[in-house]
Amino acid sequence: MNPKTSFTKQTMDGSQHDHLSVRGGESVRQNAPPSAPSSISQEEFTVRIPRDTRRKFTMMKFGTGSSVDFSKIGEQPVKIERENNLKEYKTANDLDMLPKFGAGSEYGRDQKEESRRKKYGIMLKKYNPEDQPWHLKIGSGKQAKRYKGVREGTITENTSYYIFTKASDGAFEAFPVEEWYNFSPVLRYKYLNSEEAEEEYSRRDKTLNFFSIMVKKRLKKEEDHGDDDEEGKKGGKKSKKTKDLKQNIITFKCMGKIIYGVQGASKSHRTSLINFYHCSKAKKKKPKGGPKKAVKNSKKNSDDEAVEESDEGDFDDKEVDYMSDTGSSSSLSGLDAEDEKEKKYDEKGVDQEAGLRNILDSDAEDEDEEVGEKEDVEEEVEEKEEKKEEKKKADDDSSSSSSEDDSDLEKDAKLASAIFLQGGKKDKKEKREKQETSVAGESSQKADRRTPTPDKLKEKSVKRKAESSDGKSQPVKKHKSEDSSDGITEDAIRRYLMRKPMTTKGLLQKFKSKKLNMSNEKITHVIAQLLKKINPEKRTINKKLYLSLKKPE
Amino acid sequence: MSLSTEMERAHEPRDVDFSAAGRGVWLVKVPKYLSEQWKTCPNGTDVGKLKISKSKPTGKPDIIFTSFDVTSKSRPTSHDGVAQMAGPSIIQKPSSGMSGARNHQFLVTNVGNQNLVVMSQSKTDINGKELPIEKISIEGKVLQRAECHPIVDAQYRQLKKEQVQAQNTPQRQIKLLPGIVHSYKPVSDHFNFEDKKTKKAEKRSRAEKDKVMDVLFNAFEKHQFYNVKDLVGITKQPVPYLKEILKEICSYNMTAPHKNMWELKPEFRHYKSQDEAT
Repeated sequence: MNPKTSFTKQTMDGSQHDHLSVRGGESVRQNAPPSAPSSISQEEFTVRIPRDTRRKFTMMKFGTGSSVDFSKIGEQPVKIERENNLKEYKTANDLDMLPKFGAGSEYGRDQKEESRRKKYGIMLKKYNPEDQPWHLKIGSGKQAKRYKGVREGTITENTSYYIFTKASDGAFEAFPVEEWYNFSPVLRYKYLNSEEAEEEYSRRDKTLNFFSIMVKKRLKKEEDHGDDDEEGKKGGKKSKKTKDLKQNIITFKCMGKIIYGVQGASKSHRTSLINFYHCSKAKKKKPKGGPKKAVKNSKKNSDDEAVEESDEGDFDDKEVDYMSDTGSSSSLSGLDAEDEKEKKYDEKGVDQEAGLRNILDSDAEDEDEEVGEKEDVEEEVEEKEEKKEEKKKADDDSSSSSSEDDSDLEKDAKLASAIFLQGGKKDKKEKREKQETSVAGESSQKADRRTPTPDKLKEKSVKRKAESSDGKSQPVKKHKSEDSSDGITEDAIRRYLMRKPMTTKGLLQKFKSKKLNMSNEKITHVIAQLLKKINPEKRTINKKLYLSLKKPE
Repeated sequence: MSLSTEMERAHEPRDVDFSAAGRGVWLVKVPKYLSEQWKTCPNGTDVGKLKISKSKPTGKPDIIFTSFDVTSKSRPTSHDGVAQMAGPSIIQKPSSGMSGARNHQFLVTNVGNQNLVVMSQSKTDINGKELPIEKISIEGKVLQRAECHPIVDAQYRQLKKEQVQAQNTPQRQIKLLPGIVHSYKPVSDHFNFEDKKTKKAEKRSRAEKDKVMDVLFNAFEKHQFYNVKDLVGITKQPVPYLKEILKEICSYNMTAPHKNMWELKPEFRHYKSQDEAT
């Protein structure tokens, strides 16, 4: 029953035995028996418990983001204090609320309260300053960083933690950790709450001036405040002021758009922008009811010549609570929401236009006149498309999800569409005929073209190829020069297509992965040109168009 | 008053001594049975040995912690405490006596991106003098976390078994008493027991009206609201007589904040000047 002998039996190490007898003396000892290989180094430390009952150890847990390092603070003063909740405690428990003597005091109130509490078995918790959260302050004045430490209750309930520190003689000293405090920085500035942040996030790609987010927030608040005032018929002036301010901002935005539109040099957009300008004017006149009507009017005006009248369910999406990309703005106040929508269309339009311009530049030689002729038609169609898109967005099944803030792929697709659009243009006359025959079909088609998915893309490319196969000769020289400079060669595409049937998107990906020094736009453009030249076979599998080439015999 | 100043002092901001902030510290999670031993052991006891061995210079070190049994009961008479709880069957087993040393494995993990700092509060000086306010100092930063895992072997299982058995023995047990036990009916208040009886016998007699009014005015100077019961105690007058006087100089509150209490009629009051004075 000798514990020592049994212990040595258990431990694998033979040298353990004499260490037990050393106990407490010089505790660090390099254990390097001559027989042991030199790579194995062993150290032994005794663990001691210094009983210091007057010292209490607590753990301070700082958040992952904060970089508090007490060793690097330097000369800054560090202060800590307990949060003073005495007043709150008293008010919560109805203590010391009435004067103890003189006017308003009751004779023997405290005792009565006490006895009443006892009677009903209410146990009052004594106020203990030790239970209050910590306030840590690093530095002084306004630059001071403040932290609040809240006690974490559950962590020490069933586990026990010890701190091991090295004592001067090399042994380890173990101290029990009694409390855990979670320190988090105290924020003194205003920030967006989760809902507001979500809202701003949803338009993250559209907001250019991030500083204005907070300004807008403040304005909105003021306006709300102003409305309240108006109801009270007290601060009517103030509310008017804020509203004026807001209108000014709106008109300013519109002006910006107009300028933008002029730069874009597209009639359609200019007209639409002017419409917007009008609507903003209308807003000025009657800020609440005006804007919606104005917008609708503008739609009708531009729709004058259009074949289509509004169908049943066209405005369905107005009722939809949540839309994929702009839906969150519906929670905005009426003015803001409208404004937001306008903005969206505008941007899309401009975006597309840029693509269109590119095409015009590149193919100016052969299509100059044609474009000139068709521009007007194009404008109308485009405008319609815009509206269609808005209407159909909610019910459009496959392509609706593709919006500007989706993935990069989608964006590329759009760019590609801009390029392929040129091909589509030629079909437009046919399409116009189709439009007249079947309104619904046409609208869906258009919606598709506005927000192209890969499938549609291919369709377009096919059309384009079909055209090119009609016998139109390409400007070969131009391409050749481009080919040599880029790494996208006709041969490369041929090779890919010969190996296996591919979609246009797949091709795009292939070249993109090569990391050429080109913008996506340019890559797609070049590929489109080359494909036109190669004119591969087309096959639709699973509703996707695959291009392929036969191997030359 | 001294209590409130003490409260004030407890909330005063204190300087933090962070001279030892750079020190690296290990945070070790210790099994319950070990920590219970460590909490009760006397000052400066060695509770175990850490053996750190590195098989490869770059690899993780292998840390083994050997704990000694530092419970007071296990030293001189090795199986007093445990055996009694666990029943006679354990004593025969050889393992119960040698619970002296036990090996544990240290599982060392990184702190991750947590920033853990150790703080200590001490109420005394280095010289042992009592400080007016407890001193706060930063004791270091946690460099590594470790978990002290017992190595599960027969010995450990035995210990767990004992623990479970000890846990499951009911706290209250039936005992057969040898003889008759005398029981007495408990009396809660011995001291005032006699007093109460005599008090009831006491009769209150009517005093002169002016004297009673003087006492009443005096009382109302101190507080604004009084219950009838309290006034009866103060003036020592019979209730009907007292009420008669009260009706003359006081008004009775029937509603909420000071319900069922008497206060002086406005014409007799002069609290206001008092309020201004204070």
